[in-house]
Amino acid sequence: ERGGNNSFTHEALTLKYKLDNQFELVFVVGFQKILTLTYVDKLIDDVHREFRDKYRNQFQQKGALGLLNGTFDFKDDFMRLLRDAEESGKVRAPTVMKTFEQSLKSQKTVKCMIETRGEKPKEKVKNKKNKGSKKEGTEAVVAPGKASVSEKQPSAAGEKEELTKDEILQKNREEFFKRHMKAGEKSRSPKPEAQKEKGKKPRVWDLGNSNAKVLDYSNSTTNGSAEACPVEEFDLDTALGDRNREPGRLYDLEYESDDEAEEEKVIQNPSKPSAKKGGLGGMFGMLKGLVGSKSLMREDMDPVLEKMKDHLIAKNVAAEIAVQLCESVAKKLEGKVMGTFTTVTSTVKQALQEALVQILQPQRRVDVLRDVMDAQRHRRPYVVTFCGVNGVGKSTNLAKISFWLIENGFSVLIAACDTFRAGAVEQLRTHTRRLNALHPPESHGGRTMVQLYEKGYGKDAAGIAMEAISYARNQGFDVVLVDTAGRMQDNAPLMTALAKLIAVNAPDLVLFVGEALVGNEAVDQLVKFNKALADHSMAQTPRLIDGIVLTKFDTIDDKVGAAISMTYITSKPIVFVGTGQTYCDLRSLNAKAVVAALMKA
Amino acid sequence: SMAGRLEPHLEALRRELPAPSPAVLSVLLALLAVAITFLIWRFVLGRRSSRKAVLLLGLCDAGKTLLFARLLTGRYRDTQTSITDSSAVYRVSKDKSAHVTLIDLPGHESLRLQFLERFKAAARAIVFVVDSVAFQREVKDVAEFLYQVLVDSTVLKNAPALLIACNKQDISMAKSAKLIQQQLEKELNTLRVTRSAAPTSLDGSTTGGPAQLGKKGKDFDFSQLPMKVEFVECSARGSKGEEGDADFEGLEKWLAKIA
Repeated sequence: ERGGNNSFTHEALTLKYKLDNQFELVFVVGFQKILTLTYVDKLIDDVHREFRDKYRNQFQQKGALGLLNGTFDFKDDFMRLLRDAEESGKVRAPTVMKTFEQSLKSQKTVKCMIETRGEKPKEKVKNKKNKGSKKEGTEAVVAPGKASVSEKQPSAAGEKEELTKDEILQKNREEFFKRHMKAGEKSRSPKPEAQKEKGKKPRVWDLGNSNAKVLDYSNSTTNGSAEACPVEEFDLDTALGDRNREPGRLYDLEYESDDEAEEEKVIQNPSKPSAKKGGLGGMFGMLKGLVGSKSLMREDMDPVLEKMKDHLIAKNVAAEIAVQLCESVAKKLEGKVMGTFTTVTSTVKQALQEALVQILQPQRRVDVLRDVMDAQRHRRPYVVTFCGVNGVGKSTNLAKISFWLIENGFSVLIAACDTFRAGAVEQLRTHTRRLNALHPPESHGGRTMVQLYEKGYGKDAAGIAMEAISYARNQGFDVVLVDTAGRMQDNAPLMTALAKLIAVNAPDLVLFVGEALVGNEAVDQLVKFNKALADHSMAQTPRLIDGIVLTKFDTIDDKVGAAISMTYITSKPIVFVGTGQTYCDLRSLNAKAVVAALMKA
Repeated sequence: SMAGRLEPHLEALRRELPAPSPAVLSVLLALLAVAITFLIWRFVLGRRSSRKAVLLLGLCDAGKTLLFARLLTGRYRDTQTSITDSSAVYRVSKDKSAHVTLIDLPGHESLRLQFLERFKAAARAIVFVVDSVAFQREVKDVAEFLYQVLVDSTVLKNAPALLIACNKQDISMAKSAKLIQQQLEKELNTLRVTRSAAPTSLDGSTTGGPAQLGKKGKDFDFSQLPMKVEFVECSARGSKGEEGDADFEGLEKWLAKIA
């Protein structure tokens, strides 16, 4: 379902693939990532065409048995095609240089040719990038690369339009091959290199990579760092926020919705005429479909896909995910032969439905009870951590999950690691009291089924979690549920603190709590949470989010798109769904029902 | 002769109706003909899809596609992870004319349920292929998939014969069928408790299916299932390597029995 782009990178290799939907073939080319070969696309197209033409009869007639029994002796043809593609890659190089008249510059006005400071360095950076991307990163290559750059400088002065990456590469390779024939010419390299080195400045990234301390422009008392807030005295700044506001006045929300509204309007307008065309085309398509089988073309699918994309966005699926989904469905269906009585709309709808069900059905099902039983056997507690942004329902759903676990006979220890929010510990204490009233120790053989482990406010959350886990191990609790404070995904120090908690305590399950009302924000939240967890973990394989809890599901009637957005981004399953405020409002996800609600008009 | 039979009817129609244009009549006739063809086609298709399929299910890398190739052609083939189903007609033995349709389904987690949905109604029998070498490591995943197959409402209703083929017996580390049976029974025993205790699904139906697998109170046993279950050892690659034949007489005999 992620078939939108056709290349895939794994360690040192890149794979490019092409689908032939008519005969259900997949063509894959693998090459080393560092080599940027320009002839790969052409090669794969040629191979596809030739293979299909050569064995077309076999595919059409014999089906699976034909595929099994047939010999597809394509090796010689493939070697020939590969040689042709390599040749064509080489031959093109000398024709790169355009004359002045051909260049765009002669068509530009004088005003835009006035050099701004940014242009020259941009070109230099580009050349460096190209040189860095070559595999044979030895001095030998740098020399011709630089030679070509110094050659280009006078030409660049003449024509300031930027050569495309491919053309630069052609030239570099040409130089490299020429250089391979004769030897020498290394002397030119060190001097221009020294000059270039001076010009280099370290690139400052705005997020990640850099030390969190450097980015922390806030004072230590503001913005909720847990250490600085002791219990007795609270800092007025953090409690009140902005001191300059008038007391008692409620400020309006200031946000820019204008761009979004404009974008939507712009999208609406082209879709309207295409919808009309789609209506007529659909009718003719149906009649055409009655007569014979036709293969799906991109143009036929586009209006239908546009409509489906808008429909998905209306159902609260994040916009970029809706776009990617429609892309992948288009790729999967392009060239496919439709059956006799099917229309384009129904085929596309069917394919989209399958893709959605596939997204919602997790790769590996998370069965909490099974894993708790395993941990019980090994005599260690099963640790679950809840994380998420503010106000999504972490504490409420934690209480629901502990109720469910107690019903199944497991004893639960709740670790109150939310040491910032006022009343967080009291809230959990109330829940604990209620749960114990519902399941008194007498009915479970004399042991308390749920207990709260808390150390008040202002302490370090990771430390409390560690103590809670060892306490649980000593007392023989089956499950430890760790409640953390809500935090925005952009808040770097808090994300670091969360990542530290998870890295140090190594929980068995990390659950991200997200509300079903969230729209495009879901993508941003999940991406940044995962990134923070990956960046700050010391281990080889960092602990990422293992599952999602979707809360406030009762507030949306059928706009269930948030479920799709979240599972698409993380590829992890939705473990629980929260549908209310009482202890029984905990459900599991039914993929088919959700997809049906999504596709419903 | 068809036209001849219709002629008098046409005449009668023409006389009764208030002079309709022949264009309208011909269009109506054409639509009628189309509708009749449609109905006949659907009927034929419906008859053909009575349950004659044998599904090859299992986890990824269990050996389903190689078994499929060996059964059909007898030769060894290098296989890739399947991403779509393959089906072909298999003649059970040379002299009898009985045949079944073998369908090889992909085992990958993201695809297996989707393909099972599509083909489960047509299944007369199911061959569940298990990798006997990696079984110890994968026992939970194997049991989970087997559980999902067994509690499916269509499968419970049709009760197709089930054969659990313990593949890759040519490797010395392979577990025996007896051991695999015991482990699966234990694991399914636990699974049916945890799955039925899972929170109910959004629309009210339980995730584990309304059916309880086996009998309550007693430990789970394969004999408690409504369908016939057998265990057989086989090796798709064969003990003599790629040139020799595959070792799966047990599988072939079972296929002959159910055909």
